[in-house]
Amino acid sequence: MLRNVFLKSLRDLRRGFVWWSVGLAGMSAMMVSVYPSVRDNAALNKLVQDYPDALKGFFGFGGELDYTSAAGYLGVELFSLVVPLLLLIAAIATGSGAIAGEEDRDTLDLLLSLPVSRTRLVLEKLGALVAEVLGLGFVVWLSLWIGALAVGMEIGAAKLAAATVDAVALAVAYGAIALLAGCVTGKRGLAIGITAAAAVAAYLVNSLAPLVGALDAVKQLSPFYHYAIQNPLRAGLDPFHVLVLLAIAATAAAASVLAFRRRDLG
Amino acid sequence: MTVVVRADRLTKFYGPSRGIVDASFEVEAGEVFGFLGPNGAGKSTTIRLMLDLIRPTRGQIELFGLDPRANGLEIRRRVGYVPGDLRLYERLTALDLLRYFAHVRGMRDLGAAPRLVERLELELDRPIRSLSKGNRQKVGLVQALMHEPELLVLDEPTSGLDPLVQQTFEELLRQATGEGRTVFLSSHMLAEVQRVADRVALVREGRIELVEEVETLRRRAFTRVQVSFAEPPPEDAFSAVQGVRELERRGGSVLFMLEGSADPLVKALAQHHVLSLDVHEADLEDIFLSRYRSESPHAA
Repeated sequence: MLRNVFLKSLRDLRRGFVWWSVGLAGMSAMMVSVYPSVRDNAALNKLVQDYPDALKGFFGFGGELDYTSAAGYLGVELFSLVVPLLLLIAAIATGSGAIAGEEDRDTLDLLLSLPVSRTRLVLEKLGALVAEVLGLGFVVWLSLWIGALAVGMEIGAAKLAAATVDAVALAVAYGAIALLAGCVTGKRGLAIGITAAAAVAAYLVNSLAPLVGALDAVKQLSPFYHYAIQNPLRAGLDPFHVLVLLAIAATAAAASVLAFRRRDLG
Repeated sequence: MTVVVRADRLTKFYGPSRGIVDASFEVEAGEVFGFLGPNGAGKSTTIRLMLDLIRPTRGQIELFGLDPRANGLEIRRRVGYVPGDLRLYERLTALDLLRYFAHVRGMRDLGAAPRLVERLELELDRPIRSLSKGNRQKVGLVQALMHEPELLVLDEPTSGLDPLVQQTFEELLRQATGEGRTVFLSSHMLAEVQRVADRVALVREGRIELVEEVETLRRRAFTRVQVSFAEPPPEDAFSAVQGVRELERRGGSVLFMLEGSADPLVKALAQHHVLSLDVHEADLEDIFLSRYRSESPHAA
């Protein structure tokens, strides 16, 4: 695990990865296990049916709010907020620490005194970030799939995978933005703050767009719009919106390389 | 002589008190070049410019005739570095850290590390977080030397080392230069630089005050002579003696500064009843202090 920067970075992430996996799997299993009782609760479903459309848009996922189907339930309870939020936190923690963490801890000088280019360093760190988020996505998918089989949810592995990949793409985009903030500022805490603030703003823009006309015009600028509009639990992935998310990640990664190459360190 | 490091009016404005201004010097192959100055003088800034961690505001620096920005990889393959503020990966063991760096350096094995580890009596299997400052410094030295680099860049490398290890370290440096390697050694400790360096640059407040061979400095130096007399000699008893200046007088004890031959002073002392005589060869400290005094009358 010490053959290169990529593997060393993965090694550094392994302890965190175990805890994240336990948390994500536990939460997924719990949500799935209560599905049958929610589905059969007629009063709750009547109440939700009567929400105004605007509220349904705010709380729902992919434009719907429905507890009576597996896709509707998982969308509202997991994929509208909790799963992307947790993956985002993990990705931002890793992305912000990738370069700025080493700089904060003053280990960067020594690492860069070795024959490794700054470009390569950023890319290997990015690789570790992507691998981590993919791994966590796999844990989410696997626990949902097993849970769905166990309680007899009517949803297939492919649709679950589509929703998870969608969330992974969103998280990688924000991880790359955190990497960029770290490469520009050299300060991990600041990078976390900037990225978290940007993520909250983008989330609110998309969630409030159905209620606020002005936001509706700019909602396409929000990565959360491209994440949620696909409704992957019912429709599968929409390549265009996935590509938008990946393009955001690629742009942030390229900007990270450029910023890091130019900057005075320390 | 081959020039390994060449700085030409190298300038970096960097933070309020740090930085280096118009530094020009050359380090020749096979020598130990002492870069001497108080903390905050600009020593680390110069070193970090050499390694392309920061970029010059103006002026140039070259290693092996190469520009650090354009040829960073080539340069860093041939350089070993111990940072002034050495921080290592706390969770790794010393052995894991050396393995990691060897891999990143593209080495097939640990190179000279096993030999160095034995020489420095370093424990390899403990996590770095449990190591003392001195042992961490040893890890720093081993990683800087294990690929047998042409140029060693050491920023305050002996801080935290106990005197015995410091001796081993100095032997390692001599061995390295014996094998044709070049050492760039920054330090705020005059005694250390004096012991190991062939030439020394004095850095103060971001400027290089002088670059000189240690031997030349020493030859040019004054000798201090402390004499205890049975009775205090008259005030002007030695004022006419050639090459002698009275520095300090406390009762019957007089401190002289002697330049050149000792003969005139010895002859003059013979006129008096001398109880004891103590001669110190001046070290760099005296040289620099006298230089500072003569050139900056307002300082200390």
